[in-house]
Amino acid sequence: MIENPGGVCPLTLAQAGDFHMTTILCYSRNRSTNVEQVDDKTLISTCSLQDTLTEAFVRIHIQFPELMILQAEGAFIRTASAKEVPVDDALEKIKGVRIGAGMKKIIRGLLREVTSNEELPYLIEEACHAVILAFTKDALSMAPKGKAKSTEFFKNMVKKNIRLYKGCAAFSPGSPLVEGLDL
Amino acid sequence: MLKFQRNKLVSVFQDNPDELRIHGLLDDHIFGLELDLVVGMDDLKIQSIEGKWNREETPECSRALPFLQAAKGFKIDSDTLAQQINKVVSRTSCPHFANLLLECCTAANEAVGVLKWNAAKADQEDLTFEDFRSDTGSRTGVKQAEAIDNNPANENPVEAEPVRTPMNKISGGCFIDLHAHSFPASQCSSVSVDDLVVAAKKIGLDAICLTDHNYVWSRKEIENLRQKHGFHVFGGNEITTDQGDMLVFGMDQDVKGIIKLSELKKMVDQAQGFMIAAHPFRGFLVFNTSQIGMTVEKAMQRPAYQLVHALEVLNGKVTEQENRFAAKVAAGMGLPATGGSDAHAVSDVGKYATHFHQAIESQQDLLEALKSGAYEPFMFRKRKLSKAS
Repeated sequence: MIENPGGVCPLTLAQAGDFHMTTILCYSRNRSTNVEQVDDKTLISTCSLQDTLTEAFVRIHIQFPELMILQAEGAFIRTASAKEVPVDDALEKIKGVRIGAGMKKIIRGLLREVTSNEELPYLIEEACHAVILAFTKDALSMAPKGKAKSTEFFKNMVKKNIRLYKGCAAFSPGSPLVEGLDL
Repeated sequence: MLKFQRNKLVSVFQDNPDELRIHGLLDDHIFGLELDLVVGMDDLKIQSIEGKWNREETPECSRALPFLQAAKGFKIDSDTLAQQINKVVSRTSCPHFANLLLECCTAANEAVGVLKWNAAKADQEDLTFEDFRSDTGSRTGVKQAEAIDNNPANENPVEAEPVRTPMNKISGGCFIDLHAHSFPASQCSSVSVDDLVVAAKKIGLDAICLTDHNYVWSRKEIENLRQKHGFHVFGGNEITTDQGDMLVFGMDQDVKGIIKLSELKKMVDQAQGFMIAAHPFRGFLVFNTSQIGMTVEKAMQRPAYQLVHALEVLNGKVTEQENRFAAKVAAGMGLPATGGSDAHAVSDVGKYATHFHQAIESQQDLLEALKSGAYEPFMFRKRKLSKAS
């Protein structure tokens, strides 16, 4: 890479093949979801979005082991939409909902009564999903190292929970993780 | 201290005006993966997709990569993109790649709006993005697919002639699969209602209940099926509430969307119907609720279970451990327990059923039997196979 000697059109240099042209992003998105265990009965999961058009967050307080949403707060701090999102009213709807099977359908169904905004239910879903992943992490931390032992570990996991079978490529026919299993 | 963190970064840029390039990165405590997409600016279709694992969960996660190619041709502004990604990419490839792909596509769709606005500003300098968007009617995000509108006409409650099919005489009662789904009434099912009934008859059940999602079969449709197949078919409804799914019998009123369980309870009581909590302890893929501290005693205190008439303790789509847990909760609360396959495919039918102590000839018989509590859940397929051998 050579320096632009000032005043020389970068295009000329690019055509010469000697100059690397910087590509400026036309859109950028950063989404971060964090789960914190506050005490032995409470988790807080926060999903924050910061992108070119929108800045928003949702924070849910979860009681476990029920995995029930005790309270939720959030805000759209910056948005390109002219329509205000009734965040408080929408989040009130999900109090008492339990994180678990079917939660996406329940959350979207409840929020549809209040708002047509699509980012808000997604923020909530990501926050809820992160809670599931937090416990998944604990379970997976028991996986042994080494391919043979690891394969056995995951094979046993599928045996105990048939829902894993065909849930993804790793647990589909042809994979050693489901080989020989009577499913 | 953080228990878990997931970060996603999406960068959208253009090398040339005909294409949009998207790079996505997902990194969390468990997974690390990346995606590179190229989207055509004229048709907004994914032209190319490449994935990469940085950190994998299992030794076989790399199998997911070739299946990402199924996303080629997806339109990033489609109303059904989320559904397509979930159906095609999530299960065949990987749900985490699917999650990142959706993030990349929604960001790219927004980027298209921004680029078009920039182009429109050439003619109108003071055009704001808000005004541009409301003028063009463009929208943020990807729409979730709308629920199927099922609203069959309610028939007059005329009791049809009972079908003369012999009921199971082994114990003087009958075996009924109380939970089954058919396509297209339940979009998640892969079996037609006729094939469902044929399968139930073939396996030796005495009847099957159609409990499609938020869908009421009319009495005429049910009777037509009974006549057509010479087999007992009964109608129910699996209704999604804010506290999970409920199997409802004896209520002809349809329910759209998500309803609060307390409101459904009022409707069911008014109709003198019967409500069963479906798969009450369906857990998660890698762990179950008892592993995070849920006990039978705590579960018995759930307000939701004070409102139901019974618990489904044998469900074909949950683990044996989850079924056993449900059975303990039902026993502890003194609630009747039922069994049903939750069939979504022909091979699912009759995995579990409910053994009623008396013969059931009509919908009204079924309702009365459910209220009587004279039944128990039954591992139908396994017992049938073991008797056959």
